[in-house]
Amino acid sequence: MEKCGLYLGCNIPFKAPDIEQSLRQVFPPLGVEVVDLPGASCCPAWGTAPSFDIDTWLALSARNIALAEKQGVDVMTGCNSCFGVLSEAKHVIDASAAKKDVVNEKLATIDSAYAGSSKIYHIGHILHEKIGTEKIKKNLRYSLDGLTAAVQPGCHLLWPTKSMEVTEENPFFPTMLSDLCGALGLRAPTYSNIEACCGMGAMRSTDQEKSFILAKEKLVRMKEELNPDMIVTTCSSCYLQLDGAQKIFRDRGEIDFEIPVFYYTQLLALCMGADPAEVACISDTPRAAIIAEIQSEQRRMK
Amino acid sequence: MPTVNLTQMNTHEIIQKVVEFGGDGVVKCIQCGACASICPVSHAGFPLFCKQLIRKVQTGYEEEILDDPSTWACVACNRCVEVCPRGVNPTEVIFAFRRIQANELAISTSSLMSQSNLYEKGHAVLSGESKKLRVKVGLPENPPTSVNDEKAQKEIQTLLDNSPMADLGIF
Amino acid sequence: MAKVGVYVCHCGSNIAGVVDVAAVREYAETLPDVVVSREYLFMCSDPGQELIRKDIKDGLVDRVVVAACTPRTHEPIFRKALESAGLNKYFFEMANIRDQDSWVHGDDHAGATRKAKQLVASAVAKAANLEALEDTYVDVTQAAMVVGGGVAGIFAALDLANMGHKVYLVEKEPSIGGVMAQLDKTFPTNDCSACILTPIMVEVGTHPNIEMLTYAEVEDVDGYIGNFKVKVRKKQTYVDWTKCTGCGACAEACPAKVPDSFNCGMNDRGAAYIHFPQAVPKKAVVDMKHCLNCAGHKIGQEPRISKKTGEPMLAPCEKACAADAINRSLPWNPEGELIEIEVGTVVLATGYRVMEKEHFKEYAPDSPNVLTALQMERLISATGPTGGKLLRPSDGKKPKVLDFISCVGSRDIRHHTYCSRVCCMYMIKQARLLMEKYPDLEIYMHFIDVRTPGKDFDEYYTHAAEMGIHFIKGKPGGIEMLPDDRLRVLGYDSAMGENIEVDADLVILATAIELPEDAQKLAQKFSMTMDGSGFFKELHPKLKPVDTPIEGVFLAGCCQGPKDIPDTVAQAKAAAASAAIPLAQKRVKIEPILSEVYPEKCSGCGICVPLCPYNAISLKPYADRPRAVIDMTQCKGCGVCASACPSGAIILHGYTDDQIYSQIAALTQSA
Repeated sequence: MEKCGLYLGCNIPFKAPDIEQSLRQVFPPLGVEVVDLPGASCCPAWGTAPSFDIDTWLALSARNIALAEKQGVDVMTGCNSCFGVLSEAKHVIDASAAKKDVVNEKLATIDSAYAGSSKIYHIGHILHEKIGTEKIKKNLRYSLDGLTAAVQPGCHLLWPTKSMEVTEENPFFPTMLSDLCGALGLRAPTYSNIEACCGMGAMRSTDQEKSFILAKEKLVRMKEELNPDMIVTTCSSCYLQLDGAQKIFRDRGEIDFEIPVFYYTQLLALCMGADPAEVACISDTPRAAIIAEIQSEQRRMK
Repeated sequence: MPTVNLTQMNTHEIIQKVVEFGGDGVVKCIQCGACASICPVSHAGFPLFCKQLIRKVQTGYEEEILDDPSTWACVACNRCVEVCPRGVNPTEVIFAFRRIQANELAISTSSLMSQSNLYEKGHAVLSGESKKLRVKVGLPENPPTSVNDEKAQKEIQTLLDNSPMADLGIF
Repeated sequence: MAKVGVYVCHCGSNIAGVVDVAAVREYAETLPDVVVSREYLFMCSDPGQELIRKDIKDGLVDRVVVAACTPRTHEPIFRKALESAGLNKYFFEMANIRDQDSWVHGDDHAGATRKAKQLVASAVAKAANLEALEDTYVDVTQAAMVVGGGVAGIFAALDLANMGHKVYLVEKEPSIGGVMAQLDKTFPTNDCSACILTPIMVEVGTHPNIEMLTYAEVEDVDGYIGNFKVKVRKKQTYVDWTKCTGCGACAEACPAKVPDSFNCGMNDRGAAYIHFPQAVPKKAVVDMKHCLNCAGHKIGQEPRISKKTGEPMLAPCEKACAADAINRSLPWNPEGELIEIEVGTVVLATGYRVMEKEHFKEYAPDSPNVLTALQMERLISATGPTGGKLLRPSDGKKPKVLDFISCVGSRDIRHHTYCSRVCCMYMIKQARLLMEKYPDLEIYMHFIDVRTPGKDFDEYYTHAAEMGIHFIKGKPGGIEMLPDDRLRVLGYDSAMGENIEVDADLVILATAIELPEDAQKLAQKFSMTMDGSGFFKELHPKLKPVDTPIEGVFLAGCCQGPKDIPDTVAQAKAAAASAAIPLAQKRVKIEPILSEVYPEKCSGCGICVPLCPYNAISLKPYADRPRAVIDMTQCKGCGVCASACPSGAIILHGYTDDQIYSQIAALTQSA
């Protein structure tokens, strides 16, 4: 069985551990053994070391990647931001022998070393490229036939293509997540601003109301163009924003609709028969009804 | 805004600084506007998005914009990098300016909290609820990360103590 | 003992701004064989040349070294000065202390001065060893070839033909006309492209001095100025052009569907087709790659006999051809016909292509409502796929909002850094034509800058703004596809400093002009050099704008760089005039910088024969054995043979071993 190092980041283990649980449950039956990276830290987030000093950022990222290298595995991240930071760090270090020396000088002080032998993947890439939709289909117990999703791949999964191991055929009109949804029987058509930012992360912590302008535009266009049964994302930040901000908009009377939000592996785990109390139980926008629908008798596959 | 007398601006110094902090593309920008048209920071209404920041740096602004929080709203989506026709790497210019701001401590208090979280536990984002939530979903209280790993924390502290960030007194 | 004169040029401040010219002159005085050393502001000017001429006439010097710029442009000038003073012009040597010194070492004056001294010493050492050489002359074949039948090739061919020269016009498509034939109207006068071009195409077609070779491509080139041998492959048309009347019946009958390249793929043509209605020559071809072999009648086979009627079963194209020009039973040779043509000079006018929209991922290339500007030309042309009606490709409905984006692939380091020069104007032209025809349209145009430097161009632009066309300064970074097939253009208005959006029915991309791949292959055949932008490089950007490094080969039109129709025609006429000079002179000079074999020393080993890149060497019997002989008219003076000859039997005049060793010796002594 292929092994892959699960890089958790911060959001998933601390704010949405049901996503972590879904990641741990879906991969082994699909033929990928999840290997922990003990002692992994923050990637570090864009707002921390990368905003102060390049070499410090690279050293902290390289330390995380080195944990995977030591076990001889590639890295897979569940968080788009972590994917972006680690990919970019690897890209910068691998492009310059001098940079690599600087980083390894720093790592030497903590008995670590970066070689550049592990690749950085997002879990979406592992599912789409390494496992493939056919294998996913074979492991399902429930089908989402007839349901519609609005997908949110998230910025860091799309750009910049120059530093990514796997890229969309056209990153401005992404299709990977729609394909993955299709494997579950879910209809996931594109919509006009599929590539747009949800406003989470640095923007929300800088000015929540401005960040909500983007989140609301996203939600309204999803609703108007697709009227979806659910939103599916592969970004933990987008997940938190589209789920949490949606509730705030409803509470304020700014929108009058409710679209449950799933991180893709949560939905996949449910379709594979996982216990929703473990893999999809933390959200601001209610999901009980749609989860009951997903795991209903008539959706059980023969 | 009062009229800006360009002859009184010192463009060389700030451009040099931005280049040194990693934004060497700033001199390549022809202000075509492609980055601005798709920038989430611009769409959300922040005044100092990529194109504006680059122009102001090219014009010699530094102190005047040092406290503007717009740069901190950049989510590093990198869409600007993908569409820029001149190889400017606008994200890198924004981050170079952020580094200048950070080294002058022109940063928000919430950002300072992230730095000390990173230093203490190795994680910028933490949650008081996390242990409860983790147990609820059937996971151990702590994930197998630096959060509960003193050796890992020490390693991160060593890296940070030996970085320019240590001189800022933010940990 | 040679008497060497050294003349150091300031080149204004080009050299003197970096190199200490006086020091170089003084140093030259100390060199062996140097009898006089002078300096002057511009050695190439008449007073500068006079310094040299006077010293020669006074008997002071008999070898000349000029330390100045590049021999590429200035060696002929100084050689003439020697000649006019009565000295053999090959007693001249140039030291390039500008391009190879002051220009590249501007930050190191002392070092540049030291290098200038070494270069002068090297030139002096060679000058002392120079030998007198004589030019030879060969006759010029009295014909020219023009490659490319667009507007550039058409005008070059016509001018040469009107001067009385025989012209072969080679065009790869079945008809001449090029991209200009695809255009609707032309800026800044809005005259119809077909109306101004087609009569001239007819003139070419009927000109007694022009032999058109359409549907033909250059396969190989051999020879040199005055005597080029060009192999041209006439591609197989599978139609007997001596019989074809261009009626188009075969094209109408053909059931195959092939994207029509003349209409930029916006409709289909048959496998049997005529390039376009106003084609010259108006002849059909069968595109065998897409032929369906109707009625089972493959090319070169007898038709099957119908069991019902007992008659042969013919393909629709055969049946439709009243002139009997299509006979599929004939054993057509798919390779076509290879012919060799001898000409004295060649004009390359191979044209350009526009980039396809697929390259621009951020601009929704999968939407049928995103068009290149050339597709837009066809969409508004009366001969286009809609008969000139503006219809949205996705649903055939009339669009209400149009959005134009400029600099798509131009001024973009991901594609081409250059400005394609014509896009601003043709976009404005299309917008104006559309506004005149459909006043209820809303038209938005995004520019990085509006560039309108031609005659009457800016007036053309400002009038467009007065017509209500919206000009926005700012390049869009993306397009979103709306559910109703409209396109949301994500833009930025630099003047307002605000993000803007346009919900458009059609988006038109002004994609960059670039050199097509087949022209790059042609460039290799003609040994053209390419410029940094990927176009054919002219010999000098200002003074030799239509010349190339290959003497006798000239450039016209967009193969040399993007340009509009007025500039293209002007350049074509310039190229024709230049290409006519050797034809008018009737003989061309061959410089004696050539290799020669001393047959007594030659062992006949033959090593040099396959090494010669110009096939100039052969082994011929001499005394007791075969020995190498070099054909002077083929030799380019590259020196490969001379350096490889194990017996030292080959000498390259102008670069003899003695001369080169003395240069090396001088260079390796510190100045």
